[in-house]
Amino acid sequence: MRWIWIDKFVEFESGRRAVAVKNVTLAEEHLHDHVPGYPVHPPTLMIEGLAQTAGVLVGEVFDFHEKVVLAKVTRATFHRHVVPGDQIRLEANVMGEVRPEGASIEGRITCNGHLVAEIELMFAHLDQSRAPVESSDENFVFNEDFIRMLRMRHLSDLSKDAAPGDA
Amino acid sequence: MRFFLVDRILELEPPERIVGVKNLSLAEEYLADHFPAYPVLPGVLMIEALVQTAAWLVRVSTDFEKGLILLREARNVRYGSFVRPGGQLEMEVSAVEIAEAESRFKAVGRCEGQVAVQAKLTLEHLNVADEDPDRADIDAALRPFWQKQFQLIGGPQALEGPNGNPG
Amino acid sequence: MALSRDEIMEKVREALVDALGVDEDEVTPDARIGGDLGAESIDFLDIVFRLEKAFNIKIPRGDLFPDNILTSDEYVQDGKLTPKGIEELKARLPYADLAEFEKNPTVQDIADLFTVDMIVGYIEAKLGGEGG
Repeated sequence: MRWIWIDKFVEFESGRRAVAVKNVTLAEEHLHDHVPGYPVHPPTLMIEGLAQTAGVLVGEVFDFHEKVVLAKVTRATFHRHVVPGDQIRLEANVMGEVRPEGASIEGRITCNGHLVAEIELMFAHLDQSRAPVESSDENFVFNEDFIRMLRMRHLSDLSKDAAPGDA
Repeated sequence: MRFFLVDRILELEPPERIVGVKNLSLAEEYLADHFPAYPVLPGVLMIEALVQTAAWLVRVSTDFEKGLILLREARNVRYGSFVRPGGQLEMEVSAVEIAEAESRFKAVGRCEGQVAVQAKLTLEHLNVADEDPDRADIDAALRPFWQKQFQLIGGPQALEGPNGNPG
Repeated sequence: MALSRDEIMEKVREALVDALGVDEDEVTPDARIGGDLGAESIDFLDIVFRLEKAFNIKIPRGDLFPDNILTSDEYVQDGKLTPKGIEELKARLPYADLAEFEKNPTVQDIADLFTVDMIVGYIEAKLGGEGG
């Protein structure tokens, strides 16, 4: 399994808001453990999906040069189960603005218009926070693979101001 | 990956307290993405490890009554040190309250004596039949499944404890 | 926007409950943000964002929680604030009572100065007049 919990971006406003979607499919191995006979998309992986959506939103402000990492999950509340065949929509909004010290994000996850989860989280930059890291100049948080899979160089095509046919 | 985040139960004092551990190994494939050349246990899997540890406490305290135990809310999740391959996360969970359909916990994960994660958790407990009356067979299958898993991860020995008192 | 001190306290309480996951009744005026309410480094930034949102104000870096004082040799020596450091702290926190702290101005104890009341005072000053 890949550690990617979103499938594609559908809306993007630099420094303010991003929306991604994720399909949930029986092809995902972990669903057969969670739980046997009644596959349910794990709430913690929905937190990760929102974190990845918001991580790209925050990272793009610095052109993906900073190692943006999850520093805190202030609150994550789950209202509804998500099952194979569902597509969830993950919306991340920046609270205030993205600062060099970090960012606070308000997020919602919905499925067919129904509220699935409300999540608030915070990001900081790896080099400023947590345990010391053996220094590496390359940004392993936003690596080429991840950037290409999620088409992160084309996010501006999704902004509301993008002219039709820009994509 | 297999979605089982508790490898062993070390201490078990139902309904109040439980201590479990999760080994982290390079064999876990998702680490290749998190992050390339710098593998660390993802923050949300630390939360999942705490959730699953708490779930074991619920199961033992309620005689494995409900088949489905899921995260309903996580609050105030803060991260400290990283967990690296070859390392072990030790999850200590204390129950604030375990009721029939819901339970609340304070949880801490440590690695090499340092706090890696702390969280306040609320779990929901239900039977599949509550969502879908025709699927009571799943609940019937889940009970022995969790009981077998409990044996696999040293649950009965943890219940006996260092004094050899059977729970 | 004329808010009474009580109304300010209510909104500050809400921001702290949301950011720190504490209970409402733990947020008393003299509760220390760090020592009593358990705030850690990342939480201070979260509190700033929530206060900005609640009161529709801008809180520049170092204004409410002057972390930049702690990282400067000019202001800190051997774990204590220099006279210049104390002066700077007074300028940044005009609404805080520094009398006790001045007697033994260790960096450790700066965190104890950050009380709920201090935040309320800062907001009140900020809302009350420009140059708060």
